[in-house]
Amino acid sequence: MTVFYIVIQQIVNGLILGSFYSLIALGYSMVYGIIKLLNFAHGDIYMVGAFVGYGALGILGSRLGIGWLGIAAALLISMFLVGLLGMLVHRLAYQPLINKRAPRMSLLITAVGVSFTLFNGVMVLTNGEYKTFNTGLGYEGISLGLVNITYTQIIMVVATGILMLTLYWFINRTLYGKAMRAIALDQDACRLMGINVTKTIGLTFFVGSALAAAAGVMAGVYYGSIQFYMGFVIGLKAFTAAVIGGIGSIPGAMIGGLILGLLETAGTQLPFIGSAWKDVFSFGILILLLVFKPTGILGKSEIERM
Amino acid sequence: MSKKFRSMVAVTILALALGVTGCGTQSSEPTTPSATPAAGGGEIIIGLPLPMTGSEATYGKDMENAIKMAVDEINGKGGVNGKNIVTVTGDDACDPQQATAAANKLVSQGVVAIVGGYCSGATIPTLTVYNEKNIPFVITAANSSKIAAQNPGNTFEINGTAVHQTQKAIELFKKLGAKNVAIVEQGDAYSSDLAKQTEDSWKAAGNTVVSHDVTNKGEQDFSSLVTSLKSKNADVVFWTAYYADGALLIKQLRQGGYKGAIVVGDGSSDPKLIEMAGAAGEGTYVLSPPVADYLPTAKQFAEAYKAKFNQSAGAYAPLAYDGMNLMADALKRAGSTDGKATIKALSDTKDFVGLAGKINFAADKTLKESNFIVLQITGGQFVLQ
Repeated sequence: MTVFYIVIQQIVNGLILGSFYSLIALGYSMVYGIIKLLNFAHGDIYMVGAFVGYGALGILGSRLGIGWLGIAAALLISMFLVGLLGMLVHRLAYQPLINKRAPRMSLLITAVGVSFTLFNGVMVLTNGEYKTFNTGLGYEGISLGLVNITYTQIIMVVATGILMLTLYWFINRTLYGKAMRAIALDQDACRLMGINVTKTIGLTFFVGSALAAAAGVMAGVYYGSIQFYMGFVIGLKAFTAAVIGGIGSIPGAMIGGLILGLLETAGTQLPFIGSAWKDVFSFGILILLLVFKPTGILGKSEIERM
Repeated sequence: MSKKFRSMVAVTILALALGVTGCGTQSSEPTTPSATPAAGGGEIIIGLPLPMTGSEATYGKDMENAIKMAVDEINGKGGVNGKNIVTVTGDDACDPQQATAAANKLVSQGVVAIVGGYCSGATIPTLTVYNEKNIPFVITAANSSKIAAQNPGNTFEINGTAVHQTQKAIELFKKLGAKNVAIVEQGDAYSSDLAKQTEDSWKAAGNTVVSHDVTNKGEQDFSSLVTSLKSKNADVVFWTAYYADGALLIKQLRQGGYKGAIVVGDGSSDPKLIEMAGAAGEGTYVLSPPVADYLPTAKQFAEAYKAKFNQSAGAYAPLAYDGMNLMADALKRAGSTDGKATIKALSDTKDFVGLAGKINFAADKTLKESNFIVLQITGGQFVLQ
């Protein structure tokens, strides 16, 4: 294997890993953009998404098969149900605090509480067991020289791209998207203009959670097994990705995810030192990046968010 | 009004949700099963430090099941020295801090002996807690070489240690005609210990270790590692950590086009590895402690376990069962529950026959003879090599 092929293969690996980070980072960024909340339950929403997708595929598998059709259906069902869960969490846990104009720290701790509730709830419901995604997907793919890319990987990246483009269109071209952007700017003014702020925030939670659910189902399909703590590490990393990109910025979350994915991958293949140093390497670079650009790559200090 | 009502509803639902979670964790908290005292009266309380929650909870439950089977049989035959054995499970969650807290709690509950211990990292800090009270500890699964090194004197290991496993691994690499071995671990006491010993022994035998990588627990993506291993021309990849992440690595190695042999350590010797790795798992070599399914002596045990718990006995069930029987035997030979006498009796164990063969202790209170076996995944099953 020549250096050239290794580099290309590692870039492919990094982009795939990064697209998962991006999808989850979007939810962090959207929610922060609109209500300045670091929603630490978001990684667990991703995990619940994977389990809902697992259940849906189990039920639909007999009718639609366990190939791409069944997976797509399970993905959409999981996105919808987990989107509703996101709205429910917002309504039950966050909105009452927002109504009472609670300090932001209370909201943050509530988010931690929601995270533990979801995490432990799923642990009890699944007996802490691993679930194996049974799909009919193989390892076929295309080989460019020594670089292997499976069809599954290509479809994952394409699906992520479609979801992101749809989101971009939704935020920038629809009335609801406009309302979200307006609320991010000035909630009180929006209320005076007759925008239903609570509902729009709920919608933001729906969209962010649905994207996390999509990432969860795709991770389940791609990696093959899911468990109740799968959201923890990836949640932290996606949060990091959102901050690198500039939290509150949607293109920023996409770019931040890809950058983190590429950095981690590069860290694995560093010459002279082992892959044990990959996180030291990637997060070291991130610290440097934030030192020089504290608002992240696309973040602006106090101008338009989302 | 309506706002107040709504927040009340929210609080109620949250409370309910938390209540549900609470109940769930409670069931894995230490429980004292009620047992009727035997004729002689009194009870012998034996503590079981095991992971009942967290990523290793399935192993903990499996070991607890096996130990309770042994206890039922012992009590059915009249107990030990006229007393019934009662067990108390302490959840160590495979976490050093929680393990220490659980150990202190077990001691305060008046345990006279300890059987169990799955995660080495969580077990090591508890050894002195028990030793201070002269409580004997039979470790049935955890097997880091640090345990023997830090053994304060009360601890006996009936699972083969990393030393025994390393010997078996090197033997297997040679049999496979390997030259370039790549080792992957997870940075915890158990997996890094096995990885380091294997690396040293393999190098000492004049061979090459092309890479020694550490992955993070809970991370799902190994694609960059796979590319890196392929680029270093590894012909054996040795995974020393647990099955869940091991299955992901196996899958991604095959997905990435790696053609060489894959060997996994005993932390991965679980039927779930086969299920999770799927077709990619075929041909994988698994170093394993004596598994009930392959031990002619354990056939009856395996059937009884399945009948009672409606699932197959896991990898560490036979040793957990042996551990409790050994402890009961030692208590009988000691003639009392005195800690020092029991520890002495355990040291003097001679050819105790368990499911996994004879138990004799070396000077460092580990097994005298290795009991590791090599399995290969063939046709979706573990086949003894």
